[in-house]
Amino acid sequence: MVGGAEKWVMMVTAQTPTNIAVIKYWGKRDESLILPVNDSISVTLDPDHLCTTTTVAVSPSFDRDRMWLNGKEISLSGGRYQNCLREIRSRASDVEDEENGIKIPKKDWEKLHLHIASYNNFPTAAGLASSAAGFACLVFSLAKLMNVKEDQSKLSAIARQGSGSACRSLYGGFVKWIKGRDEDGRDSLAVQLADEKHWDDLLIIIAVVSSRQKETSSTTGMCETVETSLLLKHRAKEIVPKRILQMEEAIKNRDFTSFAQLACADSNQFHAVCLDTSPPIFYMNDTSHRIISIAEKWNRSEGTPQVAYTFDAGPNAVLIARDRKAATLLLQRLLFYFPPSSATDLDSYVLGDKSILKDAGIEGIIDVEGLPPPPEIKDSIPTQKYKGDVSYFICTRPGRGPVLLSDKSQALLNPQDGLPK
Amino acid sequence: MAIGPDFPKFPTSKSQPWQSLGPGKEVGKMVGGAEKWVMMVTAQTPTNIAVIKYWGKRDESLILPVNDSISVTLDPDHLCTTTTVAVSPSFDRDRMWLNGKEISLSGGRYQNCLREIRSRASDVEDEENGIKIPRKDWDKLHLHIASYNNFPTAAGLASSAAGFACLVFSLAKLMNVKEDQSKLSAIARQGSGSACRSLYGGFVKWIKGRDEDGRDSLAVQLADEKHWDDLFIIIAVVSSRQKETSSTTGMRETVETSLLLKHRAKEIVPKRILQMEEAIKNRDFTSFAQLACADSNQFHAVCLDTSPPIFYMNDTSHRIISIAEKWNRSEGMPQVAYTFDAGPNAVLIARDRKAATLLLQRLLFYFPPSSATDLNSYVLGDKSILKDAGIEGIIDVEGLPPPPEIKDSIPTQKYKGDVSYFICTRPGRGPVLLSDKSLALLNPQNGLPK
Repeated sequence: MVGGAEKWVMMVTAQTPTNIAVIKYWGKRDESLILPVNDSISVTLDPDHLCTTTTVAVSPSFDRDRMWLNGKEISLSGGRYQNCLREIRSRASDVEDEENGIKIPKKDWEKLHLHIASYNNFPTAAGLASSAAGFACLVFSLAKLMNVKEDQSKLSAIARQGSGSACRSLYGGFVKWIKGRDEDGRDSLAVQLADEKHWDDLLIIIAVVSSRQKETSSTTGMCETVETSLLLKHRAKEIVPKRILQMEEAIKNRDFTSFAQLACADSNQFHAVCLDTSPPIFYMNDTSHRIISIAEKWNRSEGTPQVAYTFDAGPNAVLIARDRKAATLLLQRLLFYFPPSSATDLDSYVLGDKSILKDAGIEGIIDVEGLPPPPEIKDSIPTQKYKGDVSYFICTRPGRGPVLLSDKSQALLNPQDGLPK
Repeated sequence: MAIGPDFPKFPTSKSQPWQSLGPGKEVGKMVGGAEKWVMMVTAQTPTNIAVIKYWGKRDESLILPVNDSISVTLDPDHLCTTTTVAVSPSFDRDRMWLNGKEISLSGGRYQNCLREIRSRASDVEDEENGIKIPRKDWDKLHLHIASYNNFPTAAGLASSAAGFACLVFSLAKLMNVKEDQSKLSAIARQGSGSACRSLYGGFVKWIKGRDEDGRDSLAVQLADEKHWDDLFIIIAVVSSRQKETSSTTGMRETVETSLLLKHRAKEIVPKRILQMEEAIKNRDFTSFAQLACADSNQFHAVCLDTSPPIFYMNDTSHRIISIAEKWNRSEGMPQVAYTFDAGPNAVLIARDRKAATLLLQRLLFYFPPSSATDLNSYVLGDKSILKDAGIEGIIDVEGLPPPPEIKDSIPTQKYKGDVSYFICTRPGRGPVLLSDKSLALLNPQNGLPK
């Protein structure tokens, strides 16, 4: 930089995926440390389609910690951000950048301030768990910047304190968040069950469902469930531990039938305990229910499950298909029942990996309109369609964990002043 | 059918076609032989709504439940089943007509009820008409049954509860069955579980029982309909295009696949039953509402925990719950309890008439009638509450202000047409005989539907 030595800016940019739980986390035993009442298992989604990119920068010229999320400055004063920053800073070590003659001894990190810019390539309003990807990226990128010498699981325990499900975004593939037993939460962290190449066949279609309701936040909701649901304790103590073991087996053996049965059952049970809360929480709506009916009807007509469904704290459906062929047949069914509204073209309606459209024989809206009813429908029942009830679809697959981005053009902060580009 | 050699001959055609024999019973005389008399009884039974839910059987054929349940009987003035049962030597087989259509009686449930009642028949004597039916003859005589619901079956308002209760009650009267009301409920139970609770008015408990043969699985009255006078009930009949999973199928799937149901039945419901009995006894509306809402929600939770999952409530049901919850919380004390059965209809129980009025205003605000519907067809039952609410016509509905508990910043969305209609009612009495002959559904001369 022009001027004194005190104006250097050191930056790191990273990208992390989001994840979708197939055995759900719902309910904390410790609110401030974010310790859950049961284990959970997730599938990491391909960051090519859904990810958070974060640039973290340090400079003696920064006078305070600052953060921008999707271009807007936000406050870092909340407990979750403070916890993550404190935990990471306390694990910083010496950093040396020989090229630029920058040396940051371990003890200096506490006095230096950070600029953080984060960006999600998917809309926050889509209810696609942006805080998981966000906090994972924050922790991962800061760990790189500060030369933190902890393994990925230890980093996940820090990300956990920003947002519970963030800990599962520190790995690709299939991940388990071990609930832990320690009071201080040091053993509540994520481990990888299998990487993203382990179960190559799976294809994922997300239906982003139009929702005008503002939903109960996960944090508030799960707290109310812990306090008022008489079913939750039983779920956490007796039911989830068995399902965790069964799901680990299913993933290990690529046993889609068991995987689907467990994922659907656990999604439904999560929503059941939400309903058992006072006041009751409804995350799924009529469109969500219709998607479940479509999946259930098809699965039963085929004998073995073709698609698993799971819903988080919102109406969006995450549909996991057995293989590409099943995904193609699934997409045909979804487009049949949920054609785009007249204002929407196909290109804006099916996002992510669009190659599957070709497999489905769909190149334009005409092909959507020409789709026949699925064979499993009894002829006597006239088929009702629900145009416009789905905002759009995203086609993706299980994906990799966090990565550093070395391409400087992807940095979100200006390397000269550390402010958003 | 041979009745007996000593059966007296009827008088000639100079006599009246029928005569009333005292409460409920009539006998029709047909022109012609002695074998053609028709003896009839007409009764009316209410339906009921469970506030601690029955969902799940431990015995499918005897209809024995996995937990106790508690219900409120609804006023038969607004919702009821009327049944006429007739016996005659001229009938060649058991026949039944439901809402005008002949239906089959061959199913297990009807057969169980008929068998259980017949086996408890005693001697019947009608001195006036010289009819004597010794106990042993009931086995050989056939019945005609006509039943009519004054509410649409499609409304999902539990017509089988009222129906089987009425069948059993009226047959018991006809056949001079000397069992108490609880024993009759155990018979009605074998037709339809919740029917057992319609043998009483007011507040009723169905004791799950322990015996294998189900003899102790029956209903008892907790308090009669006068005990808690203040309560007002508004039912929102929600427009539903879906054909729902039947209760019988649904609860069996839940028993087979829900890991939460066992825990509910064993650990949770027994405590709630005791708390609800206390709440009813003490007219403690706050506890009543908290328990009713929690149990309704938990019932739907175990339906969701079923494989495949069962969704009885829809978005409209959820909105009604939100409206109730928001209002209750803003008032500090619950004003309205909600409960839903195996369908999207809401049964809303208000603390008192004033609360019911405020509730109706809220419901009409959020769910105004569609343009084709006039107010008179939109609010049914006890319409007097409309006056209390200051509503005489559609104009008044359109003029309703948003409820105070809504924060100004949120624009209020309305859901015109999402509710088909409302029924205003209250807790009501149990089964009664109808002595008014014009109410009989069968022709006294030939025992066929009028």
